[in-house]
Amino acid sequence: MGLQQPSLTQYEGVIGRLETLAHDRGLAFDPVVFQLTDSDEIAEVASMGLPNRFLHWYWGGVYKELVTQQNKEVFTILELVLNTVPSHAFLRSTNTYLENVLVIAHVFGHADFFANNHWYQKSNKNMLNEAERHARLIRSYEHQYGRDRVEKLLDALLTVATSVNAFERSPKERRRRLIYYLEEKAPLEDFERTILEAIREEAEYFDLIQRTHIINEGWATFVEAELLTRLLTAQEWASISVHLCNRPAPYTIGYTLFKSIRDDDGFDAALQMRRYHEDVSLIDETLTEDLVRRLDIFVYDPKEKQKSYDLVKVKEMLINQKLYKGEPRIEVDPSSCGRDLLLVHQDEDRKLEPKRTGLFLKAVYALWRNPVKLRANGKVYTYDRRGLSST
Amino acid sequence: MRIHRGRIAQYKHDQLLREYLKQNLNELIQQKELILDGKVKTQIATLDLPTLKFGEETQFLAQGSGSGGAGGQGAGAGQGGDQVQALGGLLGGDHHGKELQVELDFDEFVRLAQEVLLDDLRLPSFHDPGRAGEVEAQEQVELDDLDRIGLRADLNLEETMLQSLLRNTRESGRLDYDVDVRQDAWYFIEDPTTFQNNRSVEVYVLDISGSMRGEYLALVRKTIFILWHYLEKRYPTNLRRYVVFQDVAEEKTRDEFFCVESSGGTHISTGFEKAISLLDGVTEYDKFLFMFTDGETSSGDFDLAKKRFDEALGGFDLVCYGHVNPGGRGIGGFSEFVQEAVRTREGAMFANLVDLETIRSAMRDFLGFFETRAARRPAAAAARRD
Repeated sequence: MGLQQPSLTQYEGVIGRLETLAHDRGLAFDPVVFQLTDSDEIAEVASMGLPNRFLHWYWGGVYKELVTQQNKEVFTILELVLNTVPSHAFLRSTNTYLENVLVIAHVFGHADFFANNHWYQKSNKNMLNEAERHARLIRSYEHQYGRDRVEKLLDALLTVATSVNAFERSPKERRRRLIYYLEEKAPLEDFERTILEAIREEAEYFDLIQRTHIINEGWATFVEAELLTRLLTAQEWASISVHLCNRPAPYTIGYTLFKSIRDDDGFDAALQMRRYHEDVSLIDETLTEDLVRRLDIFVYDPKEKQKSYDLVKVKEMLINQKLYKGEPRIEVDPSSCGRDLLLVHQDEDRKLEPKRTGLFLKAVYALWRNPVKLRANGKVYTYDRRGLSST
Repeated sequence: MRIHRGRIAQYKHDQLLREYLKQNLNELIQQKELILDGKVKTQIATLDLPTLKFGEETQFLAQGSGSGGAGGQGAGAGQGGDQVQALGGLLGGDHHGKELQVELDFDEFVRLAQEVLLDDLRLPSFHDPGRAGEVEAQEQVELDDLDRIGLRADLNLEETMLQSLLRNTRESGRLDYDVDVRQDAWYFIEDPTTFQNNRSVEVYVLDISGSMRGEYLALVRKTIFILWHYLEKRYPTNLRRYVVFQDVAEEKTRDEFFCVESSGGTHISTGFEKAISLLDGVTEYDKFLFMFTDGETSSGDFDLAKKRFDEALGGFDLVCYGHVNPGGRGIGGFSEFVQEAVRTREGAMFANLVDLETIRSAMRDFLGFFETRAARRPAAAAARRD
């Protein structure tokens, strides 16, 4: 990377100007360290989420897919920013100059969001070092306890890790979520508990990003447009503004919402919005019938081949997606005590994929080490030392 | 220097994938369309962390065609010209919980399949390259060049250089590596041009009439993959041609051959006929015909098929007839005729392909062909000396 540093000099001027423009618009953020790098490294960081995270086969699969997609030009990652202090941002060296100018403006939007959004105030800004520490720890445990054992543990932990909630602070509510329950009560050895804590901590870092993905990307895109209309000539702006509409859904949804807030109530209202909201409350408060039509988002029924633009339905589905990450909502039943662990699927009408259910329970059993039950699909699945059964 | 974590992780992933494919080979190998764009696509839930998922999405959020929803979960469902793109990528973060689709190079898939099959069948695997093995040229081969392949060859080359240095010093007093192959060369091989004859042409003929699917295809493909293992070790190059037939026969590319659509009746004669026509102008030394069928040729075709079978025996060095019979039923129809015929005819082999065990004995018969040849060779060489 050291070798690539010099070519960053061509961006120094524009970085300074964009930074000044951002401050003029009332934005405030921690320093941003820009790095120029290749698609391959960006794919690497994107697959793991953090550049120096512990190694796991799962990232390998994601990495392989990202690289394939980039080679086929189906999809490219334009930019990558980390929620750390200082913030680290990666620019692709194969982007054109103008593309990278867009990215820099976009990155300042993210940096501002990281620094000012209420939900990010308690986030761990030292995650780069934490992830490094976890990786070293895991490597030393692999050495001490055997690679296979540690890898099996990681597989099980990553499987249950999606049950974290970075917003939840009440211990009682937390205990209903599988990973916190296991952290508190599972009969784990010390090193296993240490790894569990590490995985949970990293999962919370990503959970926060996931729960603010639309507002964060929307805000960054909105800032990008605000700054660039001031920086670029009309002609340059015309040539690239089409980029803004061609972004993935979270970008366009968030961007459209912020634009409508500014148009209705002014720029300061948008600034307020980015400070106090996360995805669910943003959608709940600002999505209107008109915006649903304009964004052309709808609930689709593949059987009936029907689209529904009904605001209530779209909103509800979007919010549910955000609240439960599109995954089934599984909670620890309060009646669980002692060796019994009973999990309940909260949305019992919807069927779970049976094959995965068995594998999931096997992973939970690997951590709980006592019989695990799950109420779903109109029956109770049990996983114990004899394997899976259901009644 | 950069530590390439992405590639290290990918290596780990691929190792697991191999294990996974080994366990699911049977399911994969039966896919009607085995190759798409040169790749094998897995349809089974791929290597993934077993997070819970809903069994069936009754409704989902989607976006019209106007705005692209790149990345993300769920495939777009194009319905009746109206583009519907499932709304993906709503989460961002570390891609955790995202479903992966795995593609595999066809060659890589074949290698994996061979590994599994050789293991299952407890067949010997060959490691020695057979390029010097089966030459049966009329003249004594002339050893006039150095072997240049492999570690041994490197050592030989070193020895050769040393010899030439010693000779040059001795003869002309110069420290010079002026190699005279005839005098210095340490290990010889025959002139590479004679390798031309050490090649095989393999014609694979597959019956794709109505019944050839599922288990039938699995048996045929497994047999072919194991055959490839041995043939590739035997010959430095394998010229492969593929024919499918039902009422009529057609030559296909490899990729098409592994994506068959079965339909129609059976005229075995057309398969033989096409195979024979492919021998026109062929200079390869060994010519193989591998025919896979369930033997139920239409009654009017029987006599013609017999005739073409005879012609094939004349044209090919070995005609292997695989009667594909996953149910293990009795052998009838044209297969019955071939089974009888091979007892008295040279250069023909019959295999009743019922399961892995029968593939195994078929392979033993097939390898027997090479042994007979090897046994015949010293006699031929002796005859030449006389």
